[in-house]
Amino acid sequence: MPIVRLGSEGCWTNYHGTGTCEAATRFALRSGDAERGRDEIAIAAGSVQDWLGDAAAAQRRVRPLGAGWSPSNINVASQCWLLHTRRFNRCFGIDAADVRPGVDASGLMLVEAGALVDEVSDKLEQQGRSLWTSGAGNGQTFAGAAATGTHGSMIASGGIQDHVRALQIVTPAGVHWVEPAAGVMNDAFIAGTGSTLLRDDDVFAAAQLPVGALGIVTALVVDSVPKFLVRPIQNLRKVNRAALGWLATGDFRRFSAAYALDRDPDFVQMIVNPYKPFKRPAMLRFLYREPWRDDYPRATPGQLGAGYDALSLLGRLLDDYPWARGALLQFAMKLGYASGPDVDAPAVYGSWGEGLDTHRPLADLFNASVTIDRADLARVFELICGVYARHGGSTVVTLRFMSRAQGLLAPARFPHNAVIDFDGPRSERTAAAYARVVERLDAEGIAFTRHWAKSCNLDGARVATDYGEDFRRWRAARDRLLPDPAHRALFGSEVLDGLGLTC
Amino acid sequence: MMWVGWALAALLFLVLFGQYLAGQADIFVSIANPRPLDEESMVVVLKGWGFAAHAAQPFVTPESDHGLCDVRVFATRRQTLVSLASFGFLRPVTVAWRAHAGVFPLGDA
Repeated sequence: MPIVRLGSEGCWTNYHGTGTCEAATRFALRSGDAERGRDEIAIAAGSVQDWLGDAAAAQRRVRPLGAGWSPSNINVASQCWLLHTRRFNRCFGIDAADVRPGVDASGLMLVEAGALVDEVSDKLEQQGRSLWTSGAGNGQTFAGAAATGTHGSMIASGGIQDHVRALQIVTPAGVHWVEPAAGVMNDAFIAGTGSTLLRDDDVFAAAQLPVGALGIVTALVVDSVPKFLVRPIQNLRKVNRAALGWLATGDFRRFSAAYALDRDPDFVQMIVNPYKPFKRPAMLRFLYREPWRDDYPRATPGQLGAGYDALSLLGRLLDDYPWARGALLQFAMKLGYASGPDVDAPAVYGSWGEGLDTHRPLADLFNASVTIDRADLARVFELICGVYARHGGSTVVTLRFMSRAQGLLAPARFPHNAVIDFDGPRSERTAAAYARVVERLDAEGIAFTRHWAKSCNLDGARVATDYGEDFRRWRAARDRLLPDPAHRALFGSEVLDGLGLTC
Repeated sequence: MMWVGWALAALLFLVLFGQYLAGQADIFVSIANPRPLDEESMVVVLKGWGFAAHAAQPFVTPESDHGLCDVRVFATRRQTLVSLASFGFLRPVTVAWRAHAGVFPLGDA
């Protein structure tokens, strides 16, 4: 039995200290030593199904927990059974004989649900492969990051869930192997995983971003690209107001030429102080993709600019001294930003995985965002900063870019997206300032969505409005996977019920 | 001579306040490539200026068969105040650690 109970009933607090499960009974799903990955996940899925039956019999709701990274409390439920998946973390290479005709197996890997993004990245790099995007940190489980639509700022990429080609989901009624209608894995492989095959585009698009509400994801087939190098440039620059217009129209080359290298960047990120965003220097980060070569000079994660989201410092001061907030934020930006190489420094390189870091939170985190159509950026960015600063927001404002992501509930649903993040120390005033930003965007009639894993105060009505027909399709797919309302309720929580995902 | 006394008292107060702040410092040691599980913690009380150390619970942690990823040692404000108020006779500190999830070689699907 790969599931073991951990201690007695008690509290569990998430990674960023933003939520606590009271009176939770904790269990851990552990990897076994089966020779083949399909045998391993067949055994695990059977155990998870039995465990779900036990939970239902005990009249307890369940929650799968990866790294517990989401600050939005989407993974928090009280009086429930928690299933920690972190020790279910083996990865397996996929052979050409395991896939359907016409599918290229060379980039595919079978990943157990508890493997961290960092582990997946390492295993891919051992095979000469790489993820093409991920979030700023790599300490989430891959399944958890995909379940919430985690993303970075690779301009031409979507979210991390775009890597998922197939997945195994366990519900009380069965073990399902979900993939697109065109198929990925062959029938013999799927039978070996102990799963019932479900090839359907809508169900797959729902399961790419399940928000923890479709069952327990036990394994994923992850796609990759050939390994590549990135050259980072990181600097502090005063950004001209006109440069926002270049970003809004997708002229990243011009922006890069003005503030870094005269080349097309693959990744652009701008962190500004919302108190005078164009008068105080912004922290800029660019990544330039280059072909892989083995003899590149190795650099530490710090030299590559890892940890660029570590801005939790000085939280209490920002809250206690509102008159000094702008200056303190600027000081925190200098302290908290890893000192990356500027244009005139010797070039450093790293693989995609080497440029990420598993940060440790230094203070309670506030973490929220809005995703807008990139074309609206020049019109609304200054407005957002103004509203946020005027109401006492005490975090930096980060601007990132990405393409439309896969998954019916992907927040990045515009063809070209600008994601505006508010990341920093938690305080009531900051949360209220973010709420004012949301109100103002609504008042201006600007379309936007919010990240599932962040503290964005979503509710069911708003989710239905934001996602429209895609939300209806997601619920229809959910009802195919979980036709029994009692089974849907098993995966519910106060948060998920409120979002209309489990009821 | 009165001002010398006040200056000395101020200096001693600053020394004490410095100890109060420094006592809350977070000593953090990590391996290079952590694969952490959830954080666990315990309070250890050093007694008699370090002559005796008493752990409130035995150092038994679940899920530690793959070793530890990182360890933090720190004192909360209350723990630092206990230490100062007892003239250092009692020195409670919190030890927090995260066990390692384990690293497996790449297998075949």
